[in-house]
Amino acid sequence: MDDQPVMLFRDVVKVYPLPAGDVTALDGVSFQVDRGEFISVMGPSGSGKSTLLNLMGCLDMPTSGDISIGGIHINEMSDTELTSLRRDRIGFIFQYFNLFPLLNIIENVTFPLMLKTGKGVDPERGKEVLRAVQLDDKLFTHTPTELSGGQQQRVAVARALINNPDILLCDEPTGNLDSKTGAGIMDLMTDLNRKGTTIIMVTHDPHIAEYSQRTIRIADGRIVS
Amino acid sequence: MIFWEIAKRNIRVHFLRSALAMLGIVIGVVAIVSMGILGNAMVAMVSETISSVGDSVVVYPYFGSTGMGGGSTANLKITDQQFQQIKRVVAPNVAIPVQSTSERMKIGVGGDDIIASVYGVDPQYIPDLHFELESGSNNNANSGCMVGSTFAKDNNIKVGSRISIGSDGSRGTLRVTGIIKQRGMSFDISTDNAVVVTQSWFENTYDRNDYDNVVVKVKQGQDSAALTSLIEKQMNKRDKVVMAMDSKVVLGAINDMVGQVTTFVVAIGGISMIVAGFSIFNIMMMSVSERIKEIGIMRSIGTQKKEVMSMFVYEAVIIGVIGSAIGGVMSLLGGYVINIYMFNSTNYLFTIPNAISIAEGVTFGIVVCLACGIYPAWKAANMNPIDALRHE
Repeated sequence: MDDQPVMLFRDVVKVYPLPAGDVTALDGVSFQVDRGEFISVMGPSGSGKSTLLNLMGCLDMPTSGDISIGGIHINEMSDTELTSLRRDRIGFIFQYFNLFPLLNIIENVTFPLMLKTGKGVDPERGKEVLRAVQLDDKLFTHTPTELSGGQQQRVAVARALINNPDILLCDEPTGNLDSKTGAGIMDLMTDLNRKGTTIIMVTHDPHIAEYSQRTIRIADGRIVS
Repeated sequence: MIFWEIAKRNIRVHFLRSALAMLGIVIGVVAIVSMGILGNAMVAMVSETISSVGDSVVVYPYFGSTGMGGGSTANLKITDQQFQQIKRVVAPNVAIPVQSTSERMKIGVGGDDIIASVYGVDPQYIPDLHFELESGSNNNANSGCMVGSTFAKDNNIKVGSRISIGSDGSRGTLRVTGIIKQRGMSFDISTDNAVVVTQSWFENTYDRNDYDNVVVKVKQGQDSAALTSLIEKQMNKRDKVVMAMDSKVVLGAINDMVGQVTTFVVAIGGISMIVAGFSIFNIMMMSVSERIKEIGIMRSIGTQKKEVMSMFVYEAVIIGVIGSAIGGVMSLLGGYVINIYMFNSTNYLFTIPNAISIAEGVTFGIVVCLACGIYPAWKAANMNPIDALRHE
């Protein structure tokens, strides 16, 4: 299993049928992400970045072509199977942190673990991951709104990591942070990557893309470099 | 599980609107259950008062259709010959001939004239009528009488009081020997507001030897319906001269009627429950549309559809269970108030039919909440996660 590419796209096409005519968002995209890589995906708006992100995150299905995550082909999967795949193998980090306001920090972080085990909060595991993203212990029982943006994003990273995913999928992770805080988050990501986490990051910020080892550039639904 | 926790917290965060929705359910349950309790009390009271005298069949003279030119019903009587025939037909059940009229009378000296019913019954049949006496004893003398408890209370009559019958006592004076306990809407003889005299006094005073009706006391184990049709068949061979009424049938008809009225008022109460259901539906839809983005995040990080659905169903169930439980308790209080005001007693409150009414009302409340929560929950669960994530 471990020698399989973490993510493999082969001739992936995504067409959105619209009344005004079909829109081809991705037009034959092929690439491979190996274990331990830190990749950024860049491209102007309307280039197909979001579509690519949705496909990588198993939130959508390609019109044609083949996608596999850790050697598993997702094309024929049911919604339930895809949901389990997202839960167990992919960690999502969003631009707007997207923590659950009704839950405290420990509960937010352990949420995907609770989904996986069907059990209640595992505070020990939660604290372990929160310490790994360098969040102050005092904040563990606070609610997300009581935290700064940078702190919230650290919690989001911890939530993404809790189920030991194959890939961390980040959508403009610093897009809603000032540059200093954003740099802190990027240092954290680099650190996680050095420890073995595979990261795919979608961004339009070249400075942020510099943190990655490799950049996939996309324009008009095709990979240009 | 975490979704239960989220549902609880969401209700707490939106306390006011959740409480209002709960109030709707409370009102719905109270409306249904208290109407049910009222109906149950009415049924219980009616059957208790009527059935306490046992099964009886009352035979009346046939007065035909009261159309144009119909004869006066006042002159229709059961003759002694007919009575003897009835007696033979119903044996071994006891047939009691009853005479009745209304009469002016005066209690004590200087009292006002009052009008009350007078029943003439042969003393030998009094035990068969199962009168329960409040005080005194059964009367078997022509100079005595028994009176009903309401009549006694209203006119301040005690055992030993004297009643002058007729205008200015023209028909003689009777001494009260016993006061009959309240019998309510008794089917055979309504004694509560009446004077019961001996048959011979009645016959002598009013110069009559026919009867107004015949009460047949049905012995235990005998079929009153069969007896009723037997009487009608045997008596009406040539001409229709009598009609017989079965207390069971009348009781059944009254119970049916009370039952229908109860169903109707409960249905009106049900409308308030439906309205409450709409408000639950409304706040659940609100709850879903406020949290579209949250649903998108949940789905994208691996929450299954059924888990999202459960979260919203829990919310509706919590509101439903709490609202219905409060409603159940409140309707017991409401039932208490209704019973105190209408019947002056709580005898009809803690009964099995009421327990069933409460259980039904509470269950209905929960079911309505659940039913109204399912569509919003389904809608939440089946949202496209990509669209939901993008929702602001």
